[in-house]
Amino acid sequence: MSYKEALNKLVEEGLLNVFGEIKPNRKVYSFDWSKIRELFTKLIDLVGVEGFYVSTIIGTDLINDGTIRLDYYVVFLPEEETVVFRTFLPRESPEIDSLVDIVPGVLAGECEAYDLLGIVFKGNPALKRGFFVPKDVYEKGIYPLRKDAKV
Amino acid sequence: MAVTKVVEIPYTLEIPVGPQHPALHEPLLLKVYADGEEVVKVEVYTGYNHRGIEKLAEKNSFYRNIFIVGRVCGICNNVHANCYVRALEQILGIEPNNRAKYLRVLAMELERIHSHMLINAVMAEMIGFESLFMNIMLDRERIMKAKEILTGNRVVGDYMMVGGVRRDINDEKRDKLIKILDKTEERIKYYKNVFMEDDTILKRLVDVGILTKTDVVKYAIIGPPARASGVKIDARASDKYDAYGEIPFNVITRKEGDVWARMILRWDEALESINMCKYILEKLPSDGNPVPDEKRLPRRFPPCEAFTRVEAPRGELTYYVMSDGKPMPYRVKIRTPSVNNILNTAHVYLGHTIADIPVILASWDPCISCMERVTVLDLITGERKRIHLKELARRREKWVNPRYSI
Amino acid sequence: MGKPKILDLILRNLFSKPATIEYPKKETVIEPDARGRHYADLNKCIGCSLCSIECPADAIKMTPIPSEYEPPKRNPRKIFPVINYLRCVYCYRCISVCPTNAYVSTNEYRLATTKTVFSDMLSLSTLPKKSG
Repeated sequence: MSYKEALNKLVEEGLLNVFGEIKPNRKVYSFDWSKIRELFTKLIDLVGVEGFYVSTIIGTDLINDGTIRLDYYVVFLPEEETVVFRTFLPRESPEIDSLVDIVPGVLAGECEAYDLLGIVFKGNPALKRGFFVPKDVYEKGIYPLRKDAKV
Repeated sequence: MAVTKVVEIPYTLEIPVGPQHPALHEPLLLKVYADGEEVVKVEVYTGYNHRGIEKLAEKNSFYRNIFIVGRVCGICNNVHANCYVRALEQILGIEPNNRAKYLRVLAMELERIHSHMLINAVMAEMIGFESLFMNIMLDRERIMKAKEILTGNRVVGDYMMVGGVRRDINDEKRDKLIKILDKTEERIKYYKNVFMEDDTILKRLVDVGILTKTDVVKYAIIGPPARASGVKIDARASDKYDAYGEIPFNVITRKEGDVWARMILRWDEALESINMCKYILEKLPSDGNPVPDEKRLPRRFPPCEAFTRVEAPRGELTYYVMSDGKPMPYRVKIRTPSVNNILNTAHVYLGHTIADIPVILASWDPCISCMERVTVLDLITGERKRIHLKELARRREKWVNPRYSI
Repeated sequence: MGKPKILDLILRNLFSKPATIEYPKKETVIEPDARGRHYADLNKCIGCSLCSIECPADAIKMTPIPSEYEPPKRNPRKIFPVINYLRCVYCYRCISVCPTNAYVSTNEYRLATTKTVFSDMLSLSTLPKKSG
């Protein structure tokens, strides 16, 4: 199944919603953060393990909206088309299920998002502070990429 | 009383490799658990080189960031700057002219040649082949000279600017560059031959650190390691940014998937890059001045998001730039290829000997300053259930000399 | 085991001249337009501080022109940029944003020195001293 058909199917099933576009031509779909595991399991069923990889996970602290935006940049092979899966987490307790057991490639992105933004990926045993944040910063409980962090 | 339990003492050693280690030139800690010579588990610890560039980028203006992101990595600085600059161009809606696009590709391909030569030289050093290391580095110096002619500096080019490049080349410089490329091509062919035929190299590299095609996609490995396992990932071919859509080139893949294949693939890519550079220099379009007037560039950035990909020498490099209309970017996210390639490959070391660890690590072309991030544990199957000495030492303190548990 | 492929090259290198440039004795050949030490020509500088604002390394500080020098008329605020060469990253952004092209660029790469760390003396040497 080509990735376009797979995405259409996921939209039909209500797991994804068309959200917009990021320049240049990266389609953005939003999803409900509680259904992330269902979404990616379906995606593997539809396009196969060799059909896509998660290029990066980008968290952005939208302090004015009180949310943290989490983007999964998924690259579909063999066309190498980048598609963005976007979700919004509450800023006070950003928690989402980890994908590390079904898509092992997200490990680096999850660890990084936890250390810099404090997004908890439930079920990822490798999460820890001080991945690359220096000791004096994380001991104060600061997540450096949050907009209210003073470093 | 009958014996109910037999306690087997496994010979598991915990060896820290790095962050300062003669075999690794970059600050990275590999914690290796070995059973005699055989590696049973590897943990990658990083965080020794974090400089907080993403936060710094939020505190500086869009234009100042061009030079800051150029200093994320010394080797692939033009690629970083190009990716960021193209994100800004997407936000502003500016398109550089063809000459500028060709010159950008020239700068990036020169970078790819010298980066691939460097890592091949480092690999030669890792396996103890010092004379080959010296010779490759000597010939790499020619490409550094070519970069100096083109950009004005041997290493950090600062060549990219919104709307074009920062200096043009004339015919005299072009002839010099072609001469350098001709000489280097001959040398690269020679070195490739050495890597193909030399016994020492073949014995150390062949069948070491095999990565299968499925694993490549599953663990999001990118760049030459992915292409050496037969996965055709190349942002140059798929995104066709700058002039890559017009310049003919082949995406080289290999089937073997071992360390040797990765190194040979890099030589092949370097040769391909030389052909591209020559094509650019011969067919350089002259549709106007490629150097934009930096005083007249727009100062106001509309609220917008851009996500650009670029094929760095080490693999796919991505930049995400978000503008909210203020003079500084709201968010800049850099994802370098080394993040995936170093952190997600802890399982490849398993089953190899300790001497193979630097070899496998070097084959990813690790760049810690690019990565400046994360720590990882290997969670993958195939790890045998063993108690390592440290744990045993805790239980039976008298049995084990703590000297052996580091 | 066969003969190492690279043996010929090693033997040839053994009897040839060293490739290393013996730096203090021999000058390194450098391109005439390489990015080296640069300073402001105060006859052209208007003291607009744009270079100081744009400098990605915060290496440029605007400093008042000392009283023993004749400040040019086109510089109403009587300030001039002083580059801290230890902070400077030689990106030449200051040169390309300067509205009057006041910067003088050289390919001087030998920056190790015990004297000049700031560009003030180089810049002020372009100005005439007050007579008397």
